Amino acid sequence: MFPVVEDDLAQEHEALTQFVYMAPAGLVQARIDGEIVMINPVAAQLMMPLSPDGNLSNLFTALGDIAPDLRSRLADFAEPQGLVCDGVHLLAPGDARSGRRLFSFSLIKLDASRVMAMLQDVTVQAQRERLLRHQEAWLNAILTGVADYALINLDARGCVTEWNESIGRVTGHGVDVVGRSLSVFYPEDAITPERVLDRLHEAEHSGWSLDDGWRVRADGSRFWGSAMIAPQRALADGRPLADALAEAEEAVYCLIVRDMSGLCEAAEEARHAAVRDHLTGIGNRRAFFDAAETELRRWRRMPRPLSLLLIDADHFKNINDRHGHPAGDAVLHHIAGQMRATFRQIDMVARIGGEEFAVLLPSADLASALRVAERLRATLAAKPAATDTGPVGCTVSIGVATMDDRTASVEALLKRADEALYAAKTGGRNRVCGPAALPTEAG
Amino acid sequence: MAGSSLKSCVRMTDRKANDSVPTAGSVAQQGIAMNTESALEFSQPGLLDRLLALDSAGLDTLEFGVIGFGADTVVCDYNAYESKMAGLSKDRVIGHPFFSVVAACMNNFMVAQRFEDAAAAGQALDFTLDYVLTLRMRPVKVQLRLLADPGAERRFVLVNRRL
Repeated sequence: MFPVVEDDLAQEHEALTQFVYMAPAGLVQARIDGEIVMINPVAAQLMMPLSPDGNLSNLFTALGDIAPDLRSRLADFAEPQGLVCDGVHLLAPGDARSGRRLFSFSLIKLDASRVMAMLQDVTVQAQRERLLRHQEAWLNAILTGVADYALINLDARGCVTEWNESIGRVTGHGVDVVGRSLSVFYPEDAITPERVLDRLHEAEHSGWSLDDGWRVRADGSRFWGSAMIAPQRALADGRPLADALAEAEEAVYCLIVRDMSGLCEAAEEARHAAVRDHLTGIGNRRAFFDAAETELRRWRRMPRPLSLLLIDADHFKNINDRHGHPAGDAVLHHIAGQMRATFRQIDMVARIGGEEFAVLLPSADLASALRVAERLRATLAAKPAATDTGPVGCTVSIGVATMDDRTASVEALLKRADEALYAAKTGGRNRVCGPAALPTEAG
Repeated sequence: MAGSSLKSCVRMTDRKANDSVPTAGSVAQQGIAMNTESALEFSQPGLLDRLLALDSAGLDTLEFGVIGFGADTVVCDYNAYESKMAGLSKDRVIGHPFFSVVAACMNNFMVAQRFEDAAAAGQALDFTLDYVLTLRMRPVKVQLRLLADPGAERRFVLVNRRL
């Protein structure tokens, strides 16, 4: 009887093997240091084009370019077992034909020595869900309990047309606010005149434009709020909008500023986690590319200055080797902190790779981008990071590129900034290089 | 290499330039191989025609993995070497679509796309690349050789273990 049983077992084993071969999701089992023990075909299909070393020996290395904070996420996970991350969205470069891909990634700590990962390409689903999210945003905007709201009429240029009580209540502004741009409700570095026009255009184009963030009252105090702009399609006398635009005095848009101070902080926290780099707290790769796509769309509609910095920590591998990974992490944290202090609120500051950062600067021309890049470089050169092993100095090299007619895509702009960064690196590091590869003063 | 998301593209271009060049060792081996009728080598030139001439038993004698499939990607050849490495018997694989059922790990622009591009352009394909297969769920470093010709009904993926 035994040979028959063994034969059955062999058959079952083979069927099980094929079951995992055919599983439509990527599955990986790894040691706690990331070394891959088992991996199925879909995981290899998705990860091979990403792997910086062309191997699939280590999970964290293979995903290092798109999820540089995985190792630190796992290290910070204190529980003996459990879900380290659940369906986190990772943005992968993809090829020229298929474009960027969006992966859903989950990491489960099995015990002190093993993890399991699941990876799926969710690009198509994400596009579908985006539409649903927009509808949800609408419902939220209408239904969510808020502390208070102000209803404000705007003219075609985005200036307040009349005062009412709700404006006074929520923002503290008096009648003198009439005639001023809606940017009066934003902190000084959180909006530009171009961005005001972008929002009006987006409201015109898609029926509404919504953004959450810090708002400012007349006395300078801040509150967390949202601003929704909607065009007033149905004008009283039924004239088309174009006619109304001609008479800039009339109210063309409606702006609702909502004070969201009362909203549950946990909900905000969850929303932010999806777009924030776990280690440094600044934007992550996905947030950066989303913002870059949006800015490029705006640029194509109405060209205006737009610059990009690519920032690379110099000799970072040496820091990790000499002082250990925790010190390396502290250095990255320090760089991110200085970046946050240097750039405006409207700038998108993100970590897009292991020791690579990017900053998108709307309404900033090349000269001002070079100037602010130099300021960051000089600050970091003068100020070492505080780590557990003592102060560790780390300089950065910065490549600067600015939008022009020849630049067709986010990738093209990135490539030009990357060339400038390469020039800064080969030029001796600790320096800023612009498009013509002319170094500014070295440190 | 200094920056950002361009890394992987550059790496692959670099490899493309190198990996079709046979090493001195493999050229020497080909010389030996030519003397015996059936002992074909993974990297020898003109391999597609030699494979097309072999029947199932002939493919089973080879010391590297051979998967043959038609324009519809349905597998028609699956040799003994490949069957042993993957832990799947022939009847579980032959007759099934290659890139969706058998080898999803190659269904990307590095492998599947190359066959599609060559077919669309009406060109022959003979391309070798380093890859990692998930043989019995273990990551195994291999070399893949992709062979196709507009005049041939069958296309091949050859698998050679890397050390």
